[in-house]
Amino acid sequence: MKKEGIVKLISAEGFEFVIDKKAAMVSQTIRNMLTSPGSFAETELGEVTFPEISTTILEKICQYFYWSMQYASGKETEFHIEPELTLELMMAANYLHT
Amino acid sequence: METESRLVRLCIESACQSGDTVDRWRKQRRTLERLPSPLADALLRRLLQRRLLSPSLLVIFKRCVEEADLRGEISVDAEWMAYLGGFRYLRCLNVADCHRITSSALWAISGMDNLKEVDLSRCVKVTDAGIRHLLSISTLEKLRVSETGLTADGIALLASLSNLSVLDLGGLPVTDKALNSLQGLTKLQHLDLWGSHLTDDGVILLEKFPRLSFLSLAWTKVTTLPYLSSLECLNMSNCTIKSILGGTGDKAPLVKLQIAGATLLNEAEAFMHLEPSFLTFLDASHTWIPRFYFLSSMKSLECLDLSSSGIGDDSVELIAQIGGNLRNLNLNNTGVTSSGVGILAGYVPNLEIFSLSRTSVDDIAIAYIGVMPKLKAIDLSHTKVKGFIDYGDAEPDKVYSLMALQSLSLESLNLEQIHFQDDDALCSLLEFPELRHLFLQSVYHTDLSLHHWSSLRCLKTLGFRDAVLTNRGLDSFKPPAALELLDLRGCWLLTEDAILLFHRKYPLIELRHELIHISASDRPPSNFPSKPQFNRRTPPVNINSEKLCLSPTFVDQRLKYNREELLTLQYAPQSLQLNHRDDAIFKMLTD
Repeated sequence: MKKEGIVKLISAEGFEFVIDKKAAMVSQTIRNMLTSPGSFAETELGEVTFPEISTTILEKICQYFYWSMQYASGKETEFHIEPELTLELMMAANYLHT
Repeated sequence: METESRLVRLCIESACQSGDTVDRWRKQRRTLERLPSPLADALLRRLLQRRLLSPSLLVIFKRCVEEADLRGEISVDAEWMAYLGGFRYLRCLNVADCHRITSSALWAISGMDNLKEVDLSRCVKVTDAGIRHLLSISTLEKLRVSETGLTADGIALLASLSNLSVLDLGGLPVTDKALNSLQGLTKLQHLDLWGSHLTDDGVILLEKFPRLSFLSLAWTKVTTLPYLSSLECLNMSNCTIKSILGGTGDKAPLVKLQIAGATLLNEAEAFMHLEPSFLTFLDASHTWIPRFYFLSSMKSLECLDLSSSGIGDDSVELIAQIGGNLRNLNLNNTGVTSSGVGILAGYVPNLEIFSLSRTSVDDIAIAYIGVMPKLKAIDLSHTKVKGFIDYGDAEPDKVYSLMALQSLSLESLNLEQIHFQDDDALCSLLEFPELRHLFLQSVYHTDLSLHHWSSLRCLKTLGFRDAVLTNRGLDSFKPPAALELLDLRGCWLLTEDAILLFHRKYPLIELRHELIHISASDRPPSNFPSKPQFNRRTPPVNINSEKLCLSPTFVDQRLKYNREELLTLQYAPQSLQLNHRDDAIFKMLTD
């Protein structure tokens, strides 16, 4: 079932994150998947699976999406990243263009 | 770095915060092996900037880094090179200015079969023996060995690196014979031979390089350069020039020519063989040129530097004729006056950067400059500009000349050593909302004149030198949000504490002052700066002469020196005072 304004991001382990479409669009890659006409199944279902991204990292990514929107609207807080996550998160961010 | 996403940047920052944070990810070997090389390269660079990199940390990057940029890192030595030698996919190695690298240290990188670029510039301990280690890297395409310990024999060895397209031999004793032995390098496109021992006989050999497009012969004895059909950029600065690219009768399609500081035996003959309509860049600064007629056919020129060339108003007409494409014009330290600028006005529709420093132009010129529609940067430092046009008694109201620039979308303005005695003249600058770089230097500026600039929202660089700025004045200054650099050199009333206090309030702004320098890369990771992060300069015992020159208007000797300096001076001259009082004071000033 497709709901307007909501997308589902699925991690490598199958964990599902349901977030605002607007937030997910912070990622250029996801934006392209969701907006390109017809070519992606993701566009139809509003669901994106990331077989390369672990649950921990995807959770952090989702947090970043919301932080980024807040930051853009003028609320300048610090986005804390645990040093252990930096390498994996860096790779995910590189892939997602965010 | 620019292509990186923000989250990647945040991750790199977080990873490189301290030695502790590094320890928390360095064991993730498998992840590191998967790290795409642009990310690994950027991470390595940031670790280096944060001074967290050590040979033992280097080893974890051996499967992911393709580009290692370690230039200027003084700790890089044979041990570092040994680890770098293990970088399986290394494509580009830059160790310029790493003075501890010796010839034997290069043994570690011999035979690396992915290596395409090596920069060893100014590694003075690298000699002919070191170059032998590089000869096994047949993939090498770009090699920079300027100002190393190489001799002509070592240079001749490079002939076996047949894939070289870029070879920088600047500052090396390249002889005609050594160049002769390099003939096999037919793929060469870029050859830097500045400061070499080449002669007119040797440069004939350059014809053997069919793809050569960039050539530097600066600081050599070469006077006549033969025709080279592929050449686009030529640097013959500081040479004595007879003729350039002559000999066949063909016109050479040179695009860029630098002859700064050169001696032209005959300017017409020197330029005779060039196809003037191809030239877009000409740097003839510090070159004495008696006549400028050669300019008249260089219709494509975009960048023209004639600073200190002896050009005067009588030749400005020639620049006006070819002004259509000009974007950058430098007439610093020439005889050009306001009327010369008047000749140019209307003929330089695309001019973006205009430098008139150290000329005798005055406020009249500003009116002419105001009609050059695309101007973005103007340098009027050390000129006769006063800020207003004085029409004498006929018109008692002052006309502020800078107002004439309001129609331009000005981004950079240099007004150093322009002494506005009237604050209102300076205030007319507030009408330039797009101004990004402003340079002021005058002993007439005070606290008040600094506070004006708070309202210039785009301002990134503010030079406010030699001003009578007090601690209180700095403390109450609210810098514009975009400000990145504040230059306060010569503001002699400021104390170190006041500058530190300002830095604590605005940690992202780089500060310059004689007492303390806080650079942008020293940005503290947290909100509070720790003391060792500043490059402190101990107060000089001798009052250096520069400081005295900067402030010629001192009256009170007590104000001239800060407290530490006074304390050091306290005892020194006293013993002499009774006998040679005058001598002692004189010595104190000249020391």
